[in-house]
Amino acid sequence: MSVKAFSSDWAKQFKDEVNKSAAYKAAAKGWKWTVGLVIEAEPDKNFPESRGVVMDLFDGAARDITVGPASDAQSCDFVITAPYTRWKQVATKELDATKGMLQGKLKLKGDLPTIVRYTKASQEMTECTTRVAVEWPDEN
Amino acid sequence: MHDAGRGRMARRKLGASAKESALVEYASKEPSAFAEMLGGLIEANVRASAEKRKDFDALVARVGVWVTDIDEGVTLVFDARSLKVYNGLEAQRTITIRADAETVMSLSNLKIGLFGLPVYYDDVGRGVASKLLSRKLQIDGLLPHIATVNRVTRIFSVQ
Repeated sequence: MSVKAFSSDWAKQFKDEVNKSAAYKAAAKGWKWTVGLVIEAEPDKNFPESRGVVMDLFDGAARDITVGPASDAQSCDFVITAPYTRWKQVATKELDATKGMLQGKLKLKGDLPTIVRYTKASQEMTECTTRVAVEWPDEN
Repeated sequence: MHDAGRGRMARRKLGASAKESALVEYASKEPSAFAEMLGGLIEANVRASAEKRKDFDALVARVGVWVTDIDEGVTLVFDARSLKVYNGLEAQRTITIRADAETVMSLSNLKIGLFGLPVYYDDVGRGVASKLLSRKLQIDGLLPHIATVNRVTRIFSVQ
């Protein structure tokens, strides 16, 4: 069953996908930082307010993933920021997250050596987002 | 917990007041995201490791990095104790690395082993070696400048 994009139901399904992923568990061993995703508003895409996804990730598992105001995500150890459309492209595999960061389509804040060390984990995390069936607000 | 802001991409411009302490400078007023990412990564690596700092201080080379699947690249001009990052490929490069984004990232994950040589026998190393053999990773100038390639690899490496 599909869930509304970047809603609490989406966060729950995303968390379940992360915790089901053996690849993520292996690649993220030793990870102990919070990650925030800031989804910037695009009113013309029926996404009127920015939202923040806060991911409490620890040693290959997602302890919690919640959706709230963008400010919550901005206070995480690592913050990735992009407009709604870019995140949709990532979740639908139109945009590779690594390439997106190198091109500046996704803006990263945080300790670069750490994030580079966990490139495989972040790629698998992206794969997990693509496994959640989503209702996109601009497709209603 | 680390200080998440510590490694934030440095964006120091020539003429900035912090110039004397800057290791990395950007030739353009508007460095590309890739330039900022590589420059920021190198600066964080060098500041965190005395061994990488020694390599950085000794390195004089013009290193091109071209990411084939995003059609973007940079030139890293190492000049003993400083680095200037240019958007795009500049002339007279000592070596030029050409690979897709994933491979460029995996270069940063090469472990450094005995005698400061990159490790090519673990998973990451085998992947890099295999891409070199299949020419999905090309390093122009590799043979005449093998010591420079190894030194650059050590500075890039986050392992």
